[in-house]
Formats: sequence, C-alpha cells, structure tokens
Amino acid sequence: MAHRRGHEEVPLDLVPIMNLVTILIPFLLMSAQFVHLAVIDSTLPAIGPPQETPEEDDEPPLMLSIAITDQGFTVLGDNGVVTGDPDAEGEAAAAPVEGEEAEPTVPCSERPCSGPESYDYEELTRLIGLIKDEYPDDENVILVPESRIPYEVIVGTMDSAREDSETKGDDGKARELFPFVVIAGGAQ
Amino acid sequence: MALKKKKRRKVNDELAITSMMDMMTIILVFLLKSYSTNDVSVAASADLQLPSSTAAKAPELSVNLVVSKSQIVVDGVPVLNLTMVPDEETGEDLLAVPEDEKKGQMITRLYDRLLEKAEQSKALGEASGSTEHEFKGRILLQCDKTLPFSVIREVMYTAGQAQFGEFKFVVYKQE
Repeated sequence: MAHRRGHEEVPLDLVPIMNLVTILIPFLLMSAQFVHLAVIDSTLPAIGPPQETPEEDDEPPLMLSIAITDQGFTVLGDNGVVTGDPDAEGEAAAAPVEGEEAEPTVPCSERPCSGPESYDYEELTRLIGLIKDEYPDDENVILVPESRIPYEVIVGTMDSAREDSETKGDDGKARELFPFVVIAGGAQ
Repeated sequence: MALKKKKRRKVNDELAITSMMDMMTIILVFLLKSYSTNDVSVAASADLQLPSSTAAKAPELSVNLVVSKSQIVVDGVPVLNLTMVPDEETGEDLLAVPEDEKKGQMITRLYDRLLEKAEQSKALGEASGSTEHEFKGRILLQCDKTLPFSVIREVMYTAGQAQFGEFKFVVYKQE
C-alpha cells in the first residue's frame, strides 16, 4: 500500500493561487490605463502672472503668430506675412493685409476647409522650420484662431508649431521649433 | 467494488482549474503592463472626445475643468449647460454658452466656482507651508475636439479672471 502511494501523482493545489489572482485582476483592471494622456502648456498673455523676459535687445523678437481661418493658416512675423518662398516675401509683405480676402500662407486642401483633416499641417511645419532656421533663439508662437475653428485644429496647429517629428535633432528627438504657445483672443 | 466506483466518480468531479489558471496568468501580465499610477483620469463619453496630439508632457493634479459638448464641469460638479446657437455668418449650428450666463466674455457661474476653487487651493497651499503645494494658477482643461474656439476663448478668459493663468490642455497621446 505504501509502495503504491509513493507512485501516485499528487495534483498541484492551485486554489490559493487562484484566489490571489482573482483578487489581483479586479485591482489591476481598476488601475489599468488604456489611453495615455498628455498635456500642452499654454498661458494667458495678458492675465497670467508676469513672466521675466531676459532683456537682451540684440535684435527685435520675431513675434511669430499663426492666424487660423476657415481658409487655412496665415503665418505672420514682426514685419508682415511670412511666406516660405524668399523671393515672394517682399511682395507679400508689401501687399495690403487688411482685407479679409488676403491669401492664407498655408491654404487648406479644399476651400473653405471642410474639416480638421483638410488643414495642411505638414506644410505648416515645413514653413515654421524655415522660420526657425532664421530665428533659432525664438521659442514663442501666438495662435490667433477664428471663432468657429474647432479645438482639434488648434491642437493640431500647436503640434505642428511645437516640433518637427520628421526631422530628428542630434539627440534623436524630434526637432523643437516653437514650444511655447500662447493663444490670443482672436478676432471677434 | 462499490468503494472503487465511488472513488472514480470523485476524481471526475474535480474542477479542471489549469486552463483557467493559464488564462488568468495571461490577463494578469497584460493588466500589469497597462498598470499606471496617473492621478488624472478622463471619463470618456460621446460628449467628451479629446483631441490627440504629439505632446509628451505628463499631466499633474490640479483643478479639473471639463468642457464637453453638453456642459461645463469643474472637479466633477456640473456648472452649466451649453446650447446650440446658429452662427451669424454661416447659419451653421455651433455650441455656445447661453447669453444669460455671460457678462461680456465672462461666464459668471463658472467664474464664481473657479474663484472658490482658487481660494481653496490658496488656503491649502498656505496651510501646507511648502512651495510644492503653493497655488500657481494651474488648471487642467479637457475640451471636446469639436468645440468651436469661441467657447474655449470664453472659458479661458473666465479662468484667467479667476486667477488661473497656466492652462494645461489635456490630450490623448499619439502612440
């Protein structure tokens, strides 16, 4: 009898492990995160706490601003509309910009823009990259969206202006363009 | 003979637990992988779909202002409802804050609530005595991606008036 029992396979008692696992699973399910969140920083220019700006007046600041309309993006610098094409720049700056009919710098694929997808973010990033080449120390960009522009487009514009994911810097990260975004009140 | 028969039946009745254990081990590993200790959470719904972005900065805990397609919520407490108003130029229906809730650009009820929150955070910061908990005017903004800028501008303006000047727009991180 004793001999027979020695050969008998004793089944592994998994019940305590089962208990443990059944408790762990609800706990982990509760704290599981299936979507990852991030934040984009922005400040109110006029109302936010006064920020110390280092006064080094070698050259005037760029004051890069991007107007978002239902026609596309219009990129503005301190001296008028900026275009990607250096030859056309003088012409565009000389042209009157007061009328609403002014051509946007980066127009939508169809006009007026039918949705967030028709905005040309790649072209905007390319253009801002060119501006960054000329003003490597500037980091601020002002967004001036129209009232009807959906929030998604504003976030897309902030992304395009913040970094260029196509061009990698020396450290392997995406090239940083203008990371500090300020949203202006916009046209009423 | 009778004894032997009884014993065999007992063996067959035993719960086959091994396959369940296999499953649970896989689920456990998967859940451990997606485990996170983030203090900011989003109650996703049809009315609140955040835009996705390439931003990588992790959110930190502060006053939570949610603007969905139907209402404005501060720290889980609804403040007011939004309505559809036809646009002046295009006639298209757009979301807007009801006119009687506004004084100029300021959303009065939201302002009162946020001011209360600001006072609370200031009192807390002073009581704790450390600079870490000091009131810095940070506010987490969760906005639906289809909201027109006019609503967001009014919300930002109101928050700015209530001493919240540092906005954190919460977005989904693109993989």
